[in-house]
Amino acid sequence: MGSGRGKPKVFSDHSPLGRAIYGLAKGLTFLGGALLLAVVVMVTISIIGRAFLWAGLRPIRGDYELASAGVALAVFAFLPWCHLERGHAVVSILTDRFGPRVNAWILAITDLMMLAAAAFIAWRLWFGMLDKFAYGETSLLLRMPMGWPYAAAFACTLAFVLIALYCLGRSLTGALRGAGGRP
Amino acid sequence: MSNIALGLLSFPLMLALIFLRVPIGIAMLGVGVFGSLLITGSFTPILAQFKNLTWSTFASHSLSVVPLFLLMGAFATLSGMSSRLFEAATAWLGHRKGGVAMAAIGASAGFGAISGSSLATAATMGQVALPQLRKNGYSGALSTGAIAAGGTLGILIPPSVILVIFAVQTEQNIAKLFMAAFIPGILAALGYMLVIALYVRAVPQAGGERPRLPYGERFALLARVWPVLAVFVAVIGGIYTGIFTPTEAAAIGAAGTGLIALATRSLSLKGLSEVFLSTASATAMIFFIVLGAAALNGFLALSQLPQFAAGWVSDQGLNPWLVLAIVLIFYLFLGAVMDSLSMILLTVPIVYPMMAMLDFGLPPDDFAVWFGILVLIVVEVGLITPPVGMNLFVINAMARDVPMSQTYRGVLPFVASDIARTAILVAFPPITLWAVWFFG
Repeated sequence: MGSGRGKPKVFSDHSPLGRAIYGLAKGLTFLGGALLLAVVVMVTISIIGRAFLWAGLRPIRGDYELASAGVALAVFAFLPWCHLERGHAVVSILTDRFGPRVNAWILAITDLMMLAAAAFIAWRLWFGMLDKFAYGETSLLLRMPMGWPYAAAFACTLAFVLIALYCLGRSLTGALRGAGGRP
Repeated sequence: MSNIALGLLSFPLMLALIFLRVPIGIAMLGVGVFGSLLITGSFTPILAQFKNLTWSTFASHSLSVVPLFLLMGAFATLSGMSSRLFEAATAWLGHRKGGVAMAAIGASAGFGAISGSSLATAATMGQVALPQLRKNGYSGALSTGAIAAGGTLGILIPPSVILVIFAVQTEQNIAKLFMAAFIPGILAALGYMLVIALYVRAVPQAGGERPRLPYGERFALLARVWPVLAVFVAVIGGIYTGIFTPTEAAAIGAAGTGLIALATRSLSLKGLSEVFLSTASATAMIFFIVLGAAALNGFLALSQLPQFAAGWVSDQGLNPWLVLAIVLIFYLFLGAVMDSLSMILLTVPIVYPMMAMLDFGLPPDDFAVWFGILVLIVVEVGLITPPVGMNLFVINAMARDVPMSQTYRGVLPFVASDIARTAILVAFPPITLWAVWFFG
């Protein structure tokens, strides 16, 4: 893990676009966080239900499925923020020896790669979602139609693509200006 | 080119990308996707695979403990328990030679019991303990070295995110790995304290001692950390005894540390947003690498490299202990430049099947657990090994007046104790496996 934390100092983070992008990423993160909290509460209630079987309580039906789906959606919702804040694991021991110009270009190129990966993931997830709807696939216990969580995940990856596009713009401006693109 | 050669070639290529600062998840994902393309000669299987791979990776039930443990740790960081732990540890240890530094280790161990992350433990304890250490006249080298080393207890003492990932990769029982980690984790804390005791005797000006506190006051301060103990017992005890599944335990733990934060009035709206943002970053970082690893493993399975490597190793009739030593030393070096999670995800798919072919006189499941703990320890040593140990950077950034070279020097005795402990655990597998046998 390199020096990937901390706020980038490129001007566009304070532009209207930058603020909107930050708002989107933060909003998704808070949604994901709330979902994670909901999973915590749900699992806790389910455990209490199981502990008090003798008193007529029951664990929540399908708690495993709900927990997995909730956590998965939260992870999808977290992806944009991590990229925007440069939270992804990198090794910078070698590149630290290069000048700021080279590093600015490395950042732009790796941001392009991230955009490609985000777009690829979103593109395939879209078709995955269509499949789930077409075949009417449901989860095992709750018979929850899997198309809907896929659709929500797809919405998150769409935001991921938008934010990756913004990050590329940000690092490219930095690289073109000749410096300052370092995280 | 044969598929095995492709598999072999993919590693230098991937390392080259990683060292050019390509995010590790991307490097693995890209090599996995294009490698599979080269082997199958068509995009169709990969395109079909990725319709579901992302969701199924993120929704994997064994991995769902990871964000929950991270949430638990984030609440713990917010809750202010780190300063209570440090005050209590100082009350009990502060009067010894080097006692305040020992207290920092003890408090880190306590914090590690409710946090599964090394960096978070180092950062939290650094904020609390560093000013106190400096105020009590401890040298910059010893202060920063001790806290950086103490941080690794965050992951050595269960719960541990790295162990969850290892368990998923090798299809081992998370509960067993958590049991096995406990005694080595305690040994780590004791080893670090021993290092401090020896250090201040060799370099008397490096540390000081505080007045001895009466027992009444000590117990009063100790009593204030009961919430930490309660959460630890619920989470780890629940997993050990099988009352909770790991996911349930993690949820209970997050609820527990969340309630502590609420009770200590640290849980403002701003605090909650910090918790969410830090959990989000850490979670997404891990799952993105896990996704890359899933793509890479698909490619490696197609190339048949893991089977080939395992067969090759068993055909050579090598001395298992020698191979183990080489693998552990390799991890030590790799850990000095790469973060532990990426390292595990990158190497375990090849290294583990290879090692499992060798005979260490242990049943396969016991071997998996023992090897997992050894790998956990050596990759964590990487966090405090110069030149790029992350904990060192985090702590050194807090101690503005301490030059990096002093931190490097201060941490070396702790690294030595890590290596000695690893050697002991290698020589005596029962130390690690005892708890598994006892509870299992």
